[in-house]
Amino acid sequence: MNKLYLWLVLLILALLSPFAGTATLDFGTIFEANSLSQRIFLELRLPRILLAFVVGGTLGLAGLLFQTLFRNSLMTPFTLGVSGGAVLGAGIAIKLGLTLIFGISAVSLFGFLGAFSTVLLLIVLSRYLKKAEQESLLLLGIALSFFYTSALMVIFYLSSFTETATIMRFTMGSLSVVGYESVLTISLFSALLLALLYFKRFELQLLSISDEQASLKGVNTKQLTYLFLGVSSLAIGVLVSLTGPIGFIGLIIPHMVRKVYQRPVSSLIFPVFFVGGFFLLACDTLTRVISIGSEIPIGVVTALIGGPFFIYLIISKQSS
Amino acid sequence: MIVKNLNVSYDDTTVLENINFTIKEHLCILGSNGSGKSTLAKALCGLLPYEGSIQLEVYELSELPPIERAKRVAYIPSKMESFEQFTTVEEFVLLGRYPHKASFKNYSIEDKNIVREVLSELSINELAPLRLHSLSSGQQQLVLIAQALAQKSTLLIFDEPTSNLDPKNTALFVKELQKLRESFTTILITHDIQLAAYLNDPVLFIQDKNAKLYEEDFFKTDRLSQAYGINFKNENGLLGIHYE
Repeated sequence: MNKLYLWLVLLILALLSPFAGTATLDFGTIFEANSLSQRIFLELRLPRILLAFVVGGTLGLAGLLFQTLFRNSLMTPFTLGVSGGAVLGAGIAIKLGLTLIFGISAVSLFGFLGAFSTVLLLIVLSRYLKKAEQESLLLLGIALSFFYTSALMVIFYLSSFTETATIMRFTMGSLSVVGYESVLTISLFSALLLALLYFKRFELQLLSISDEQASLKGVNTKQLTYLFLGVSSLAIGVLVSLTGPIGFIGLIIPHMVRKVYQRPVSSLIFPVFFVGGFFLLACDTLTRVISIGSEIPIGVVTALIGGPFFIYLIISKQSS
Repeated sequence: MIVKNLNVSYDDTTVLENINFTIKEHLCILGSNGSGKSTLAKALCGLLPYEGSIQLEVYELSELPPIERAKRVAYIPSKMESFEQFTTVEEFVLLGRYPHKASFKNYSIEDKNIVREVLSELSINELAPLRLHSLSSGQQQLVLIAQALAQKSTLLIFDEPTSNLDPKNTALFVKELQKLRESFTTILITHDIQLAAYLNDPVLFIQDKNAKLYEEDFFKTDRLSQAYGINFKNENGLLGIHYE
């Protein structure tokens, strides 16, 4: 597969996107002010397209960052339990019925705290691992994910039927939005992550070789790693609290882009962002095309694609 | 470089205790496996915290900002380890220019010229477009040296440079090393007694957490035998282990 095919497929699916969905858009009236078609397009389809794009791009970037920092293609915010932490945080906020804390959405704040404390926990726990046992970090992430799932079960157990339904729907991941508020919020943190990675791309390239190499060349690796992890868990926490967990994008996209581009990480930042964006948009378009009646949640779709892909990665890693 | 009362710990255990030495031109560090040679090398590069003093020029090593330290000390590992496999040799060597690059800016034309000079100095221009994973061990070692040279540090620390090389590549490496020794201060960590004897630098022998400096006369069979605790022989001026 080369770059051209990749982009062609993604662009075609992206262009189809506004026209996929249960309500059919009428081309004749789409440019008429306040027509039904125009309102569907501007208030439902367009924000959703932008949301899918920004979310896909951000998840791809966070995946690229984690893989580079831990120097392992299986390490992503999703596989290390960071998304799981955000889901649990958001679940707690929903259960407690919290809406606003200091003017910030409580679900977002708790989502961020869940993601951030998972990152901190991983940093502390990884001190007890020998360098050669880096893969154990992945096991720690999986153990944390199990723990979070069980904790969420406890919340389900304690919740009323409606609360349970809300949290349950949330854990499936969804890109359904009305209006532009979520899009703007996620874009802000996404832009922050993108800017950080771009301006620190040469430091990231040194880190992708090894921690030691980066230190030897004068990078303050500890400080920079904490900055990277802080900003990315902020972006992931806010994102997950608004869309629910959408898994495996961070695993698939950097791998795909690396394979197609065959370039070092410093040249992959924008390609990963754009391919991630278009990929999730394409997935979302597909779910809307194949859905009958009620929509299949996007998180379910990406997990259905990502699960087998994860197995493929593990097997191909073993054989190489 | 002047090292005084140096203590280095690793994972809460003291690896080196009360190490003292001064490097005038070159130094060779010898010692058994696990004696702490690499730990010492890492401390000298500023990768590990230490107690005591490592004086570099007029500065204390731990007080130098990382970038300034990198302008003065370069470390060449025995093996190239990289998660990233799609980096080309040229890009990899360019990373050696990182300490000299203005922050937030791209590498300059001058940086790229220095990379080209360094590659031709080592006669490996033809490797420039190749990816790291396609290199042989010998080529990797030369590329690592090229990166350290691009760094333009005054002190080069080689950590077991010949341990992965075949005789031909070892000979090539030693030829390059000889040239470098004219303009750089070098520290060589090795198990290769024959190479160490050939270079005939002052030897720092590390044993039981301590180090002893031999300004000369280390490469005598009786002294070697005593240091390593096995028998060495000298046949026609060629030092070697006496296998039993």
